[in-house]
Amino acid sequence: MTPSVRPSAKGHTLRRLIFFLLANLTTLIALGLLVSVFQSNGFSPMELLLLLLYTILIGWICMSFWTALMGFFTILFGRDRWAISHRQPATPPPDPAAPPPRTAILMPIYNEDSERVFAGLRAIHRSLAETGRLADFDFFILSDTRDPDVWVEEELRWQDMVRALDGKGRIFYRNRPENTDRKSGNLEDFCVRWGGRYRYMIVLDADSIMKGSTLVDMVRLMERHPDVALIQTPPVPVNRESLFARILQFAGSIYGRMFTAGLNYWQLGESNYWGHNAIIRVRPFLEHCGLPKLPGREPFGGAILSHDFVEAALLRRAGWEVWLAYDLEGSYEEIPPTLIDYAKRDRRWCQGNLQHLRLALAHGFNGLSRLHFSMGVMSYLASPLWLLFLLATGVEAFIQTRQETIYFFGDNWMPVWPVSFAVEMTTVLLVTLTMLFLPKLLALLLLLKDSRLRRGYGGMFAATLSVVLETVFSVLTAPVLMLFQTKFVLAILLRRAVGWPTQQRGDHMTSFKEAALAHGGHTLTGIVAGVLSYQYMPAFFWWFTPVLLGLLLSIPVSVLSSSIALGRKSRELGLFLTPEETDPPPVLCYLDENLREVDPVLPVLWDQPASRFVQALTDPYVNALHLSLLPESEPPGKRRRHYLEGLVHQLEEEGPDSLSATQKRDLISDPDTLLRLHALFWSRPPANAGMLP
Amino acid sequence: MSPAALYLAPPSAAPSNDLLLSRLGAYWRALGVSDPDQIVALSEQALRRMPDSPESPDPLMGALAAARELLDDWLARTLDLPRRSRALAAARAALLSGAAPDWPAALFAPPGAARDMADALRAAVADPAPASAPGVMSAQRIELFSLLDPLRRWRRRGASSPSGITPS
Repeated sequence: MTPSVRPSAKGHTLRRLIFFLLANLTTLIALGLLVSVFQSNGFSPMELLLLLLYTILIGWICMSFWTALMGFFTILFGRDRWAISHRQPATPPPDPAAPPPRTAILMPIYNEDSERVFAGLRAIHRSLAETGRLADFDFFILSDTRDPDVWVEEELRWQDMVRALDGKGRIFYRNRPENTDRKSGNLEDFCVRWGGRYRYMIVLDADSIMKGSTLVDMVRLMERHPDVALIQTPPVPVNRESLFARILQFAGSIYGRMFTAGLNYWQLGESNYWGHNAIIRVRPFLEHCGLPKLPGREPFGGAILSHDFVEAALLRRAGWEVWLAYDLEGSYEEIPPTLIDYAKRDRRWCQGNLQHLRLALAHGFNGLSRLHFSMGVMSYLASPLWLLFLLATGVEAFIQTRQETIYFFGDNWMPVWPVSFAVEMTTVLLVTLTMLFLPKLLALLLLLKDSRLRRGYGGMFAATLSVVLETVFSVLTAPVLMLFQTKFVLAILLRRAVGWPTQQRGDHMTSFKEAALAHGGHTLTGIVAGVLSYQYMPAFFWWFTPVLLGLLLSIPVSVLSSSIALGRKSRELGLFLTPEETDPPPVLCYLDENLREVDPVLPVLWDQPASRFVQALTDPYVNALHLSLLPESEPPGKRRRHYLEGLVHQLEEEGPDSLSATQKRDLISDPDTLLRLHALFWSRPPANAGMLP
Repeated sequence: MSPAALYLAPPSAAPSNDLLLSRLGAYWRALGVSDPDQIVALSEQALRRMPDSPESPDPLMGALAAARELLDDWLARTLDLPRRSRALAAARAALLSGAAPDWPAALFAPPGAARDMADALRAAVADPAPASAPGVMSAQRIELFSLLDPLRRWRRRGASSPSGITPS
């Protein structure tokens, strides 16, 4: 049964009316100021282009500004009566005598660091056990891993976790033979195979951490509100040590809670799904969230890449509510440790978000769903638009410098002095800057209200200094990210590969060479733009310096900000502290303990061999475990048998290093080949293997 | 490529009995059997089964496959599991993980005497997945916007596209 769409409360409508009215009014005022400057001599094509770009960009900034402001007032007054956590249920509460609902905690993974994945899961498991509600939850590690070494490692870590936590029948693992449709396909496979067993599923990411009590609260909220299909929690970035990541963690923490409160202010039951750290009602997800393929070729056609927004829109289309529980704490994630890794993540997300351009106009979606799609598109399209705006401003400034001022017209003997628009232009600039930077100040003001939180950020002085430094850092990195994102958007539109290796999730330092390769173009752009603007538009040059400085310093900023030593030093100095650093919640301490101290139950995990793939062939236990976890399948056909035979001979003759990851995976995916290779390695051990295994 | 450069040594067509017993002994030790008498007895049993093993013309490989088959036969009998099944592989994994440390003694015990060990093994076998409870998740229809929509609608007169998506 699909619930009927509840008529929006008057209050909900009023909130949205206020929000959009303010956002649109501010956009119009800012636009009006610029129009008043341009209209004096009529509009040139370049001025019209500037106005168009400014309208889009200032509209985007206004949305963000008013979201922050609404969030500020929500937190200032302490309670949002329409938040999902406070809202009274429309239906009577569920029978307390009824058995508790079953919930699956899903962790989809793909070639991740297994040690970190399982350390995180164990931390969540322990935190959940402390609530006394562990029995209501099952854990699923849904692996799409293709790397054979990581695959075998995951199996061992899963088995170790089951043994250590007595998790038989509660902690499950499966590796998909084909990773069709990536993460959305991975989750769909779960729903199709086991969805009927569970009322809810909580979707995590490989680096997600959630407090047990938060998981229990999420289920409680879903039980209280049967018309809600999805509740998203705001994940707070934690655990990284590099300077770059600590600055981002600080920003995400101090400004993030204000923005999420603001988003909830106007989105209410028409919120969005961010892909992880969310609880989903399984039945409506099964009924309404099967994703179709988009017609046409990539980048806009094919499989839907950023599935989360689409799934939320489909649930809303079917009449279900989607909420952001902004005040639910205990939801964490880890962020990329360096500027380059951050950009790599952007590259992955960019294509999926641009694809939403088509969906924003598709028939049948709700207005706010369309807005979510558009906001996703704008998060990446804003960069090329800003670049275009800067270029157009430069060209316009150049044109202005070439025009000679005429003081005498016709028969006038009195000079006609040029009209100055300095006041209007300064106002435009001030309005824009205020909307960009005022939210930072407001976030600081909120600390005055809460002494516990103030201590969490290292005190008012340290927090203020951190905000100032974070602002300088964001000004320096913004032009670099603008060029990165512009490059990604263009590459996607031109169907060109950017050609970067996979993102590294763990802390690591960027080498000078890596930074020079990634930012060499940015530095060169900065030099050329600086010389040209200084030469031909000296007045414009000084306005342009923040952008130029960011580009010129991109290499040293990228290298220095990736430093773990500087990150630790800044922490010692009390800078960029977050409440999760000053007083870590137990679940984060458990994760830390698991990564440092936990001795595996399985002896095979005590040492790290050169290759888990070879270990699956040689070690009788690893071989048997891997065999037991292979899915039941039809015996391979003749051609496949010949292919595998060829690989076996290649392995015999040239060793495992001669095989690609895919070939290795093929070998250990076939049960008969796996057993055959086990016997082969024991009958004729490699010359350098010593005693097998 | 010369044989010296091969990653694995070339197969021996007629390995000596000592070589066979030596490789089988190493294998049994890797499986957790430490008593030399038991190793000899098990190796001889495996050698006797060798002709039954169809896996390879390579005698050494055949002997090792026979040793594994010997263990699997015993496990299948003890735990009442079908041969050549994932469940049997899981039981073998449980056995080799140390869930039943004195299993070699049970191997030589009379039938039925290994009940405790069988229970310990069953308890140690982890289920990778629960019983399936299938659901249907069909692709939703998303009607994309196109400026040519009115024209198409007029041409199709309301006929719907067979796929989940109306192409733009």
